[in-house]
Amino acid sequence: MTTQETVSIAIPTGVLLDGARGLLATSGLAALSAEELGRQLLVERERVRVIIVRPTDVPAYVDYGAADLGIVGKDILWETPGSHYELVDLHFGGCRLVLAVPNASALDGPQTWPPLMRVATKYPRTANAWFEARGQAVEIVRLHGSVELAPQVGLVDGIVDLTASGRTLRENGLRVTAVLGSSTARLIANQASLKTRTASVQSVVSRLREASNHAG
Amino acid sequence: MQLGGVPGFRDLLPLEAEILREAQESLLAEMRRWGYRHVITPLVEAMDVLDLGLGVEQRRRLFKFTDGRGDVVALVGERTVPVARLVAGKLRTAALPLRLCYAGPVVSTEESRFQHRRETYQVGAELIGASGSVADAEVIALAAKCMEATGIRRYQIDVGHAEFFHGIMDAVRLPEDVKAAVRTALGARDFVGLEALLEDTPLRSAEHELLLRFPALRGGLEILDAAAGLVRNERSEKALAQLREVYDLLTDHGIGDVVILDLGAIRDFDYYTGVIFEGYGPDLGRPVAQGGRYDGLLARFGRAAPATGFVVQLDLVSEMLTRAARPPELPRVDAAIAWRGAAGLPGALRVGSTLRLFGMRAVVDTESRSQEAARNWWEAVGAANLIYCADGSTVTWSARGQRARRLPPEQVAARLAGGIA
Repeated sequence: MTTQETVSIAIPTGVLLDGARGLLATSGLAALSAEELGRQLLVERERVRVIIVRPTDVPAYVDYGAADLGIVGKDILWETPGSHYELVDLHFGGCRLVLAVPNASALDGPQTWPPLMRVATKYPRTANAWFEARGQAVEIVRLHGSVELAPQVGLVDGIVDLTASGRTLRENGLRVTAVLGSSTARLIANQASLKTRTASVQSVVSRLREASNHAG
Repeated sequence: MQLGGVPGFRDLLPLEAEILREAQESLLAEMRRWGYRHVITPLVEAMDVLDLGLGVEQRRRLFKFTDGRGDVVALVGERTVPVARLVAGKLRTAALPLRLCYAGPVVSTEESRFQHRRETYQVGAELIGASGSVADAEVIALAAKCMEATGIRRYQIDVGHAEFFHGIMDAVRLPEDVKAAVRTALGARDFVGLEALLEDTPLRSAEHELLLRFPALRGGLEILDAAAGLVRNERSEKALAQLREVYDLLTDHGIGDVVILDLGAIRDFDYYTGVIFEGYGPDLGRPVAQGGRYDGLLARFGRAAPATGFVVQLDLVSEMLTRAARPPELPRVDAAIAWRGAAGLPGALRVGSTLRLFGMRAVVDTESRSQEAARNWWEAVGAANLIYCADGSTVTWSARGQRARRLPPEQVAARLAGGIA
């Protein structure tokens, strides 16, 4: 409720880490070396505390208020809607959520779909909603790794997965038949942080917004 | 057999239960000081009653079942609708305004995202039959004093207005389907999505800009001036004027320093019709109190009346108090009273009743013990004092950190009650 308190930001490991690190540096909030982040999961700077967590955990840290802000892919927000504010499109980490089927498969547009489609994915919620909106019955097989393998061995008709360049899909003999959505990194904020520590949180938000505009 | 209970439903062990109960008592006591009368509504309500008052999402989360007569009933998920039913029904001859308060558990089929509970405790107050800023300010001031009464040290109350938002949505020139999408994006607090929706539309107005700046429309009176310079519609202007009145009244209530005006408050806008507010404590990622004006609800039960009120989430208050740097001091047992044989028991029972008369907490042992065993039992009870009765005339009194003394029982009682340890 006073100004100039430390603001905590949760950033994800994995593909968005470098982008997040770059953004924090450009905005002048924190210059963090890759080695530093490899060593520790909590880094304190003058105005910010950076928390490094698994991508899927970012919303939890923010929703509970353990972090005031979070940088997270939109794909993860699709799966875990919460009480946070989604404030800024940070314009990096672009990728698409696609429906892919084996090259040899007869499946293509909706008219070729079987009465009950079986699909493997790490995004059950998003996939379910998408098929439901198209009036298609779907059986979701929830997998945690190597989703690309599932259609090749006949477990499912296709997969719903994230792709940036499409290379992994091609290497596994899969082709894209539909795009469910496009994702980029987003800045999210805890609802109470925005309200009880407005000045310090908003100032960090605008610096990140500005930095992302310059980069993007 | 599941000794752990059903998921989402949990036991509260003594420390947690006592903190929660104390907080509930403090809240109800504060409400009573403001003239709010306590009502108790049942845990089960008829589904057709709840259908009248609740939105689709709330209805979906109800535990529903049929009673023996085939009627569909549900466990209550909130208690404002039951109170409205009461005011329009059994209390229909009672003169308005009515000030009512309630406390009790509510249940939901879905676990809350926080704390993963399906049963939570709520304490609420409703002021029914009064419109206008004085009534709005009374309920907000009461909510503030309630937070204070529970022992929360730092808190703030955000005050906004549902009509400010409705006015903007009327004025902003957008096709109906885009407006619906705007509402959905705002409801989900998705400002990236909102920006994308508004970017694609050619007609940009001042209201347009206001929507995009929603989360930042907060502050003191200056925010009202800033917004007044931007809105060009009567509904929003009226809301701003009313907020100014309420703000002044809250200053007169003595709580001006904890009030923040929040024009970007996002709430259930189908339900609220006027001034809305939320109470925040320190270091908890969500509001502990929520309320506002809902002038439309009572009419659905056949007794049209303006109304405003709020609910305090007791579980969150209790979590905040439990985690506070200095948790609230809960009274422990004052005296453990042990005895030996038939000669000691009558004296032990008498000392116990005397201490309780003075409002102290006294536990009398259930079995005869030696003096040595009594000291172990004292430890187990965790009481401040041990009183050991071996015969009818004198007792041995031990207080923590002090030497044991032999005294007549009346003297021990008098000293303990007088606070002389």
